[in-house]
Amino acid sequence: MILSFEGVSYRYPGADAWALKKLFLTVRPGQGVLVGGASGSGKSTLCRIVIGLIPHFHGGELIGSVIVDGLDTRHHPIHQLFSHAGLVFQNPDAQLFNRTVETELAYGLESLGLPSAEIERRLYWASNLVGLDPLLNRQPQTLSGGEKQRVALAAILALRPRLLLLDEPFTHLDPEGSEMLRAALRTIRSEGIAVVVIEHRLHEVIADFERLVVLHQGEIVADDSPRRVIDQDISSYGLNLPPLVRLFRTLRWDGTPLTVDEALHWLTAKNLSPPVALELGTSESKSHSTGLGNRDLIVEMSGVSFSYNGQPALSDVNLILLRGECVALIGRNGAGKTTLIKHLNGLLKPEHGNVKVLGYNTRETPVAGMARHVGFAWQNANDQLFQPAVRDEVLTGPRALRAYDPVWCNALFERFELGPLLDRSPFRLSEGQKKRVSFAAALAVKPELVVLDEPTAGQDEPFRRELGALIRDLRSQGRTVALVTHDLEFAAEHASRWIALASGQIVADGPPDAVMANGEAMRKAGLRPTQRFQLIEALKRS
Amino acid sequence: MKTFMASPLDPRSKLLAAVSTAVILMFFHSWPPLTASFAVLMILVLLLSLFRPWLAFLKGLGFAVVSFFVIAFLAFDLVTALVAALRLLTIGMVFFLFFQITPPESLSNALIKMGVPYPFAFVLSASMQFVPVLVKRAASIRDAQRARGIPLEGALRTVRHFPALAGPLLIQAFKLADELAEAMEARGFGAPDRRFRYSPRFRWMDWLVATASLAALGAVVWGRL
Repeated sequence: MILSFEGVSYRYPGADAWALKKLFLTVRPGQGVLVGGASGSGKSTLCRIVIGLIPHFHGGELIGSVIVDGLDTRHHPIHQLFSHAGLVFQNPDAQLFNRTVETELAYGLESLGLPSAEIERRLYWASNLVGLDPLLNRQPQTLSGGEKQRVALAAILALRPRLLLLDEPFTHLDPEGSEMLRAALRTIRSEGIAVVVIEHRLHEVIADFERLVVLHQGEIVADDSPRRVIDQDISSYGLNLPPLVRLFRTLRWDGTPLTVDEALHWLTAKNLSPPVALELGTSESKSHSTGLGNRDLIVEMSGVSFSYNGQPALSDVNLILLRGECVALIGRNGAGKTTLIKHLNGLLKPEHGNVKVLGYNTRETPVAGMARHVGFAWQNANDQLFQPAVRDEVLTGPRALRAYDPVWCNALFERFELGPLLDRSPFRLSEGQKKRVSFAAALAVKPELVVLDEPTAGQDEPFRRELGALIRDLRSQGRTVALVTHDLEFAAEHASRWIALASGQIVADGPPDAVMANGEAMRKAGLRPTQRFQLIEALKRS
Repeated sequence: MKTFMASPLDPRSKLLAAVSTAVILMFFHSWPPLTASFAVLMILVLLLSLFRPWLAFLKGLGFAVVSFFVIAFLAFDLVTALVAALRLLTIGMVFFLFFQITPPESLSNALIKMGVPYPFAFVLSASMQFVPVLVKRAASIRDAQRARGIPLEGALRTVRHFPALAGPLLIQAFKLADELAEAMEARGFGAPDRRFRYSPRFRWMDWLVATASLAALGAVVWGRL
């Protein structure tokens, strides 16, 4: 065994509750294990125990034994364990601390005290394995999210660990980045390295793994092949089930397809193909037709161009957003999505062209004036927290803009279950609670346009469900929602319109099905149709 | 020229030259030698093709230089204000040039050779990598707060709403430091048998630079005594 947990329980220093409870777990060399579970279920804690950060770095109370590649982690310091088990952390920014990609890869090898020739050999092996050769002289902080993730992976791989752990590696990746990482993980496993991946977006990788472990409140509640685990009743564990499985359950079919091919085989075997294609298409278009009939113009962008230090970020963008619609802005990292949304409240002013929001020209209206009409919830909720209490945090905007409506704000506190937290410091909240505070703060001034930046990144299924309900409510109130996301499955379910961006230009704009059917635009934007759409298309062809 | 400065010189000789120059600049109490020093430093900036990074650096230091000038002008006179501003600007430029031509890991390797314990030397070089990360984070925080209606345009408003910027930035800096410490440990930061891929060597050119720096410093100090 490369990893063995024998009755492992753990609690953090000063905590009463146990983060992990009596865990028994083994991993064989070369095995691929996917670990799922809701936020706070103990997944990241498990990773830290494997590589010895717990107990050597974090302290706390650890019960039971953890054996990694024959070494008892309790009796071996981290610097003796790190070449046996390596962890790629969730935040790529916080694990790249050298000046160039090359020195980043060499760092761990220097720690091992290897001779220069061996350092060179391993460094170039790892670089080659994950395709980093052209980036070796670049500064890590100048790379894209996907590139950073690959650097972090190669820096660990260079150590030749027999067990590799990755903590939510797909969170910040666009579809192309995800595909590259999947390919790299397949290659790594072919080298005999055991891989443990923690992930919310199960459908990204589930087909590549032979085992799925589900954690719930610090306990292992399922541990089997992915299909057998999903066949069990795991609905209460906050798992984001693969979209085709959810689709089959909605339609009360008893298959458990993890891929489009599996779904197709199941339907073909049941002789259901043609009527099903019709039914799937109809149910999807129904979900997009919600919202108000009133179609007032909310945003009008005409001929908008913008550049950073001479590098074009938006080129001749023309766009309108209507009242009550939910629009998803999609595309690869660096396509211009964030630049575009920053034009919606005047944080960025167009170099050419005009942006009008509810008739206000953003060139002439201060950002504070636009904030009365446009609410932003950013990906990182920590970017805005500074008040001593949650109540003040949420009411910062209404007070600054003199737009406080107590009835509306009380309704928001109720909606986001903030009542018991109102007098608590926002810094002491969990990440999920902070996210709810940031949503409430964005909505506190009753904005007509709500912009959500990567709202599902790193979030579990209960949060996604709540978010879906929130978007429906906002639309039914006549508010417009603009969504920046890589999560096409979520966007297909909740957005009535997709706008695909590539190299700062809009390459497709229309209902999700129409955008996905535009193969050329999808290719330019580096996107892959949702599994549901792929299935419908495959059924139509068959 | 940049490569020449960056690779053959040992970071220790460059550090000695930078510190000596900074001390010499502190000894200048009139504007002509400071203006001449500024001109020399500016020529170096241009020769090393560092004009664009220098402009970015000036954006950061400019506020402090102008503040120095205004305060000294109000408290004393124009000449004192000019000297104070020029001195801050030139000393800032000396260290700007030093860090531009000295890779942080070379600096930390050199410091280790000088007897500085590895953890201290590494933290110094690693913290330099994170300045741009924190600058980026500060920009995101500023955007997030402005989007909520907190007016942060202009220096006065920024000072007035300083907690809205400093609070989230501090929290994120602490969080980043925690995460970074974990990541470093996970790559053997505490390993006792660390061996460096490249080790700095003090060559004849370094002796030349070090001797010239100390001679210039000695001459200026001697002239003042």
